[in-house]
Amino acid sequence: MFTRRTFLTASLATPLLARPTLAADEVIKLRNLYDRKALSDLAKSREGKRIAVDGYMAPPLKAESAFFVLTRRPMSVCPFCETEAEWPNDILAVYTKRIVDVVPYNVKIVTSGVLELGAYRDPETGFLSMVRLVDASYD
Amino acid sequence: MKRTLISALALTAAATAHAQDLPDLQSGSDWFKAGETTIQELIAREQNTGRAKNVILMIADGNGVGTNYATRLYVGQQMGKLGEEHVLPYETSEFYSALVKTYNINAQTPDSAPTAGAMNTGVKQRFNLINLGGTAIHDDCSTVAGNELTTFAELVAAEGKSVGIVSTARLTHATPAAVYSKTANRNWEDAVPEGCTAQTDIAAQMIDAMTSGMLDIALGGGARYFVPKGTATPNGGSGHRADGADLLTAAADAGIQYASNKEEFDALEMTAPILGLWTDSHTSYEADRPATEPSLTDMTRTAIEFLSQNEDGFYLEIEAGRVDHANHAGNFARTAADGMIWTEAVALADEMTSDEDTLIIVTADHEHAIAFNGYCGRGTPIQGLCFGIAKTGEIHSDDLNLADDGQPYSVISYANGSGSILREDMNYAGVRPAVTQEEAMDVDYLQQALIPMSSETHSGEDVAVYAKGPWAHLIDGTIEQNVIFHVMNHAVNVE
Repeated sequence: MFTRRTFLTASLATPLLARPTLAADEVIKLRNLYDRKALSDLAKSREGKRIAVDGYMAPPLKAESAFFVLTRRPMSVCPFCETEAEWPNDILAVYTKRIVDVVPYNVKIVTSGVLELGAYRDPETGFLSMVRLVDASYD
Repeated sequence: MKRTLISALALTAAATAHAQDLPDLQSGSDWFKAGETTIQELIAREQNTGRAKNVILMIADGNGVGTNYATRLYVGQQMGKLGEEHVLPYETSEFYSALVKTYNINAQTPDSAPTAGAMNTGVKQRFNLINLGGTAIHDDCSTVAGNELTTFAELVAAEGKSVGIVSTARLTHATPAAVYSKTANRNWEDAVPEGCTAQTDIAAQMIDAMTSGMLDIALGGGARYFVPKGTATPNGGSGHRADGADLLTAAADAGIQYASNKEEFDALEMTAPILGLWTDSHTSYEADRPATEPSLTDMTRTAIEFLSQNEDGFYLEIEAGRVDHANHAGNFARTAADGMIWTEAVALADEMTSDEDTLIIVTADHEHAIAFNGYCGRGTPIQGLCFGIAKTGEIHSDDLNLADDGQPYSVISYANGSGSILREDMNYAGVRPAVTQEEAMDVDYLQQALIPMSSETHSGEDVAVYAKGPWAHLIDGTIEQNVIFHVMNHAVNVE
């Protein structure tokens, strides 16, 4: 049970940006692939390996595609915050095995795929990614 | 004054006599003593009817009574308290306070442009307009001419005061823009429609205000609107201006210092006007802010230091803009972190100025569709799931309260937003997902919402206003939002 005492201890010892160590089969939080705007040590250590990451499917850029963008929070578009759609820094491009069966942007999913690092521009959408999951599936 | 004194003495005597008739467990209780202390503090209040040399208008965007309540608990809990008993820096008896009606001329639910405009001009405005009155219509450039309002900043600058803006949003965003701009559309941040000659875009108006000497310091986000399209911004992104105007060069040519990060910010001289833009769009949420970006308190300190050099005084508007954005995202953890540093900025502004000559007004522009579930025990983490009420002691029980669906629920819910439990792929039916306390306490957690909307909305509910310094006692009762201008205007002009 989560008690007030454990909450206080946890919040004092590890403020909002704590990065837990992960077991091999654990679902990774998307934010843990990044360290501020750079890639995290965790991401570098998992390059080329199959990992599972949780997050949200952003509304697809293109119909009938084998590509979507995973975001750490639901990708809400706020007309009073932004004058145009803006991508957050910490996202994950996902190339799927099959044509994407769209999941609403506010339903949490777990995506499994092989982690690829380095710049890649999607030939169809022009979307530039620095981190990707390929050969991916999700549930 | 004499009558007030006599009444006060009578009140004290009555309270004391009454206490003697009470059982010890009542009159000796800490609650009873604290209540008496509060009464003494209120009786000891002295109205400051001097002239205000300086005015600081502090606006936490979207921090209505409900959001402010949640921030109070969050800040208290971060300090190791249960939370409910915490007192934010502007909630002491040193501040006068009132409730504020925030609606716009044509909107029950307000937006941040006309609300900030009301506080800066003394008249309510129409939805999405900034500082246009009369017959001005949103998005219609032909209605600008002749409908421009004069701002508080323009009035006091003409009297020799310095003017500053600080924001965690883009400096061209609604709340800071209301200090210096007049526009038929709050979104015309770096361009106006083709053929529109009655006004320039908001960024151009800001640089005009700086080069003309009306605006002396501006700190916040939004560099891309000052840089030509196809050109890199000092922050490493891309410029956005389609007209190709290089406003940062124009500012530099006029002798305005520029800083794009904390290091440059710390190296600024206090002798020339200052423009600081840390990001291409809004600054980072406080929960995510890198050390290269000055914080809201850093900006507050430098702005007051800079403006205080003017012997004739200053007007400074400070906005915590991202409290609003995190609420729009339905993500209270980020609302709370931005709210917390906001409260620290208020405390800092108060510390750095004198109550004798500085009127500080602390308020919000509007509330959000935020709501609070019950019945939670004391000390329940405000962003987390609702614990039950323990029968003894103060702190909550360790059992989570369950709703009729057998699932726990967070203290905070949003009435609408992207945290909606209704699913598009299920014909907008929904089932509340199971949530653990650990998940609910995560910085990325969205409190559950009902009505599905990609962005949670503002609400028309009242906000509070708190004030300290000359004529702060005029902040009282339930007032229209535009009255805030009139308090400031009276305070700086009274003979």
